[in-house]
Amino acid sequence: MTAARVAIVTGKYLAFARAAARRALAERTVLIGRSVFLGVILFAFSRIWHVIGASSALPGAGERELVWYLAVSEWSVLSVPPLFLAIEAEVRSGDVACRLVRPVGYVGSQISEAVGEAALRLAVLGPSAALFAWALSGGFPADPRGLWFALPLGLVATLIAILFMAAIGLSAFWIIDTSPFFWIWQKLTFVLGGLLFPLELYPDWLQRIAHATPFPLMCWAPARMALGFAPRQALGSALQGLLWVGILIGLLVVMSRRARARLTVSGG
Amino acid sequence: MALRPTLRFARALVATNLRASLALRGAFWLQAAFMVANNLAFFTTWWLLFARFHDIGGWQLRDMMTVFGVVASGFGGSVVFGGGARRLSRMISDGGLDPLLVQPKPVLLHAVGSASTASGWGDMTTGVGMLYLAGRLDFETLPFVLLAAATSATVFVAVAVLFQSLAFWLGDVEQLSRQLWEFTLTFALYPRPLFSGGISFLLYTLVPAGFAGFLPVEVVRQPSLLLCLAALAAALGWWLLALGVFALGLRRYESGNHFSARG
Repeated sequence: MTAARVAIVTGKYLAFARAAARRALAERTVLIGRSVFLGVILFAFSRIWHVIGASSALPGAGERELVWYLAVSEWSVLSVPPLFLAIEAEVRSGDVACRLVRPVGYVGSQISEAVGEAALRLAVLGPSAALFAWALSGGFPADPRGLWFALPLGLVATLIAILFMAAIGLSAFWIIDTSPFFWIWQKLTFVLGGLLFPLELYPDWLQRIAHATPFPLMCWAPARMALGFAPRQALGSALQGLLWVGILIGLLVVMSRRARARLTVSGG
Repeated sequence: MALRPTLRFARALVATNLRASLALRGAFWLQAAFMVANNLAFFTTWWLLFARFHDIGGWQLRDMMTVFGVVASGFGGSVVFGGGARRLSRMISDGGLDPLLVQPKPVLLHAVGSASTASGWGDMTTGVGMLYLAGRLDFETLPFVLLAAATSATVFVAVAVLFQSLAFWLGDVEQLSRQLWEFTLTFALYPRPLFSGGISFLLYTLVPAGFAGFLPVEVVRQPSLLLCLAALAAALGWWLLALGVFALGLRRYESGNHFSARG
């Protein structure tokens, strides 16, 4: 593929992302609702750490760090648009057949739209999360330098989640209703990903299981940066994250080929 | 309004919805089973927290299982038997109440009972399982458990009707009403001792998680006649409020000029 061709293809997908971001910006009530929801969850869990006495929770991390941990993990998770629903709706209605004949990859365009929307959500929810965390915990973490690493790791986390959502959405070609898959994936992300509190608080055996999966990369990896300055850990998480991005793209290529074949066989 | 025909109609609605849910047998079982798995995965978070700290504001894991048992049962019941409540705002803003208004049956009951969510059976199964594991399903406590689940479900449906009825005045409020309802569920699933003062007041008014969760849970945790009466009064009060607000809003309802047949 020549450089000019790459530029054209990239331009097409960027146009999809920009259009989706503009659409998401127009839906202000959804954005405000998500910000408020984030604040509500942060409030509820800040109460838990307050009641427990967070000093006994994790050595080196107090109530303030744990609230910031949750703020970062919720920021990553709530920024992911429900891409699987969009794909499922098009498969159900049959509209996917019209999308497939366009001169742009179906899955690629869907992912681009989700990335555009996620970028906007990250930009809006980031300051909201920081503001709520600051207000509820009374300041920044003891060593706030780690928060800088949370930004790129949050982007990688969101990208991994979008790719997973695309895979769940594509499963609609086989099972029609993808919600059950989503629920399970979402809850695995919550539990094995360490959404609500750091994996370090889990029993050792469960920590080992969690780290053998990609789920911590979507929550724990960026959020862990709120607990202290850990550049080596950040680099390791980023590399692991990129590896999983590659694996998931490979999976999506295989799934979309099979889905296309299945659609042709059944007549769309 | 005669009570007996209304009850007969309600029973017929429930039966029709059940048949409709079970018509797609595979999807029904899949949704219910996955919801059980989903709930158990969610509860794992609390299990991990209690395994580490044993006590949160004087509550132990057994108390949390009771919370989950009562609220999951109540919530499940509300979406199985009153699944239409969550669609009210859309019906109101799109003029979707038209076909119901020309029927000789109570509009709200018809709208609320016009849909059933299969995953709610998974919620109810989880709830019963949790209550069993928490040791709350013995012969003496069973009536209290049933009362708690029923009042919780009633409050969930009433609150959904209230939030969704805002559409009569504010137009399309689907997102807002859904969000407020989810806040109610979210807070109902937390241990009550976490909240006090002004927040506690909010949780018994604007986001009535206190009546959908805290109070019914106390009926099971510390059964007493007074708590039972309080839970019943709360459920009745919220239902009457929902009925009143819906009736008030219905006077402002504008037809969507929908021509459709409804059996």
